[in-house]
Amino acid sequence: MTSDIAATVYKDALERLHHYLSRYVPLNKQEFGALLPYIEIREFDKKVRVIDTGTVERYLNVIAMGLARKYLPVRNKEITVQLASEGHIIHSELSFHYRIPSSAVIETIEPTTFFSISYDSLQQLYDQYPKAEHLGRLLISDLFVKKDNRYYHQLIKSTRERFLDYVRTHPQMLQRVPQKYIASFLNIKPETFSRLKHLVRPGKK
Amino acid sequence: MLDLLRQFVSGYVTLNPEDFSLLAEKVIVRSFDKRELLLRPGEVEQYMNFIIRGLARMYFYKGRSEVHLNLAKEKELIGASSSFLSGAPSNYYIETLEPTTLLSIHRDDLEKVYRQNSRIERLGREIITHFVLEKEEWEHACMRLDTRERFLQFVERNPELVQRVPQKYLASYLNMKPETFSRLKHLLKKRPSAAGNR
Repeated sequence: MTSDIAATVYKDALERLHHYLSRYVPLNKQEFGALLPYIEIREFDKKVRVIDTGTVERYLNVIAMGLARKYLPVRNKEITVQLASEGHIIHSELSFHYRIPSSAVIETIEPTTFFSISYDSLQQLYDQYPKAEHLGRLLISDLFVKKDNRYYHQLIKSTRERFLDYVRTHPQMLQRVPQKYIASFLNIKPETFSRLKHLVRPGKK
Repeated sequence: MLDLLRQFVSGYVTLNPEDFSLLAEKVIVRSFDKRELLLRPGEVEQYMNFIIRGLARMYFYKGRSEVHLNLAKEKELIGASSSFLSGAPSNYYIETLEPTTLLSIHRDDLEKVYRQNSRIERLGREIITHFVLEKEEWEHACMRLDTRERFLQFVERNPELVQRVPQKYLASYLNMKPETFSRLKHLLKKRPSAAGNR
């Protein structure tokens, strides 16, 4: 898809992306427009493996529409490490940055459209625009802070607190994501998760 | 001292001498005795520190037990990065384990240098990216490797720390009981090649 057509089809999603990036660095229309040639639009059906173990991650993806998860296959189990919806960045970052085969799988849960930037395009952008460098630093800093918080809270909070925090901050995910994935993401046993769900039924506080 | 920093920086980006001096001008030297607290929970981390000499740990309390997030030695960075980057109060303690000398840069000064020079901003981006990837790697290791494998991987990569850091901290860092750590260490002594061959 050429970026002109994409701009029409994904007008709203692109506006959201512009808005999202502008929270880090104000970008005017021209500046945002200058980024577009580097961005690829990728569409996937639901339950598609966007990246599989053993392949090298070529892209950093922002979800324009849809829902995806990242998981690690470990001893016949899948450990969900990320659940990402519209506006979130999802990619196999170790593979992307070190150019090594991925040990994680990224799979769509719903039909999903990504705004993707390839490794090479990203380096070009950084080389060409100091503002991209600035944006990149702020984005990655924010990612680190979020990761650190998540790690800390996983360790410090009880199962019940982890559950309640998540459903309060992500109310729509409970509707969209299979329960077992959320349970795995929160490191809660599926049985426990079912039991905790009564806490959020309508009428209960 | 600045040579060590220059060497560290060149692992991430190529800076010409003028670029580097912009950074070096803002760096201060800080010295601490052993067992000094550099940061307490609730405080905002003002400095990112490069260790010239010594050893430090970053940890928090879960109930009454200490959980270690970082053990850093010479030519490594130590700081509550999340607080440093966000300006939010830290959840963690940082404490020296040996007499320690740091090259430190204040977060306000670093911001100034970033604005002056985009190559230094790139350095910042690369280092933070490295932090993210380290965290990711660690989380993956915790999920994919069993206790013994985690122990062996750590010993292989950090033979020095095994000598210098109290065992209970190492055990906490590796998320295992101190008894388990002792047992695994014993196993290593009997077969000194066990770690080296992996």
